[in-house]
Amino acid sequence: MKKIVALLLCLVLAAASALALADDKADVIAKGKLIVGITDFEPMDYRDTDGSWVGFDADLARKFGEYLGVEVEFQEIDWDNKVLELDSLTIDCVWNGMTLTDEVLSAMECSKPYMNNAQVVVMFADKIGGYSTVESLSGLVFAVEAGSAGEKVATELGLEVNAVQNQASALMEVAAGTSDAAIIDALMAAAMVGEGTGYENLTYALPLNDEQYGVGFRKGSNLVDELNAFLDACTADGSLLELAKLYSVQGALIGE
Amino acid sequence: MDFSQQFPIVFASLNTGFLQTLRLFAITLIGAIPLGLLLAVAEMSSFRPLRMLIKTIVWIIRGSPLMIQLLIIFYFPGLVLKNPIWGSGETGRFAAASVAFVINYACYFCEIFRGGIQGIPVGQEEAGLVLGMKPAQIFFRVKLLQVVKAIIPPMSNEIITLIKDTSLARIIALQEIIWAGQSFLKGSGGISGAIWPLFFTGIYYLAATGILTIVFAKLEKKLSYFR
Repeated sequence: MKKIVALLLCLVLAAASALALADDKADVIAKGKLIVGITDFEPMDYRDTDGSWVGFDADLARKFGEYLGVEVEFQEIDWDNKVLELDSLTIDCVWNGMTLTDEVLSAMECSKPYMNNAQVVVMFADKIGGYSTVESLSGLVFAVEAGSAGEKVATELGLEVNAVQNQASALMEVAAGTSDAAIIDALMAAAMVGEGTGYENLTYALPLNDEQYGVGFRKGSNLVDELNAFLDACTADGSLLELAKLYSVQGALIGE
Repeated sequence: MDFSQQFPIVFASLNTGFLQTLRLFAITLIGAIPLGLLLAVAEMSSFRPLRMLIKTIVWIIRGSPLMIQLLIIFYFPGLVLKNPIWGSGETGRFAAASVAFVINYACYFCEIFRGGIQGIPVGQEEAGLVLGMKPAQIFFRVKLLQVVKAIIPPMSNEIITLIKDTSLARIIALQEIIWAGQSFLKGSGGISGAIWPLFFTGIYYLAATGILTIVFAKLEKKLSYFR
């Protein structure tokens, strides 16, 4: 029994000593890489045909790695577990077209916003004509990503929601007819529905709010100041705009 | 992009995912069978505290969802101990998933093995002793093959369940076949909004369980020369 107590004490001590607040920037530089948590999300982070990560956020994250003098490693995560991944040190930041909601701001240390977004309604193109105002939407069932900005907007408007695992599943719900419509990010809708995409007979309309994208770090991280300075520098020399044009998202860039 | 253009890209991606599924499946079997046997022997020990300890472990592992165990094993070291032992990248996630699966399946196997060993009539042991055999000789020469025969049906059940359970590892973002299939919903490799790859993964599972079913049927037939 004494041995067990002693062992437990050792464990608690080891845990407590490890809990001392770390210097995030120094840690990242010491290990020589920044682990960026992402999901497959066109046009921000997605796989090129050769399998490498590209997209507005992926390219920008690589540039930030160069700025810090470290390598960038992309890690696909389950979006529901983003805070858990950060806090358990398995990733260093979430950089994936993340809407700065109250929940995100309270759970993470967030950068300043760098891109505008809105939540939009996605529906079959031949049905959307009948819904021109927000009021006309009541009575429909909306597929939304659980915990997303879209779910929040829908709930605030008093709409009936059907929460699913991610925004892509929300689109599948509409295509399969199991929900009347979906509420997702405008930037994603622009890339994923309409002509030339996998959802040719869907379209989007009715922006329901204004919101912004930011990058999330661990609570208390000092990397946020570095990123803000980096974003300022990229805005000043025009490289942010150049990158935005490459992925056709320049209209959404803040300050343009 | 039409189906004939999509297929090679999806096929390559699903194959990579399924390879990861098969790897997790193989490592779980390689680890959980010996560990399960060890647990079964410990559970039949005459030392009561050891028996109680094993019974408690088996209760905890069998009594809680594998999904929770995966989350705890992967996130707990970094979250609580501030020491992310699994490291970064896919290898770390695979290692954590392997540990969770080995422990979980060892507990199920342990009960199957114990049932198989205890199911042999005590008269055989007594007869062996009367004939002057040592306990180890009795186990290996008399009981073992009967145990193997008795546990094949329940083991085949668990093993077929295992190949499908590996999909749970996607909760810690292990990129197995379901993850690979789902990625085309959002957009991957130039394909976006494709639903069929997710359902197509079912074919892989059916093929794998089909092969396993045949293997187990053959094995059972081979052992049917005694009853």
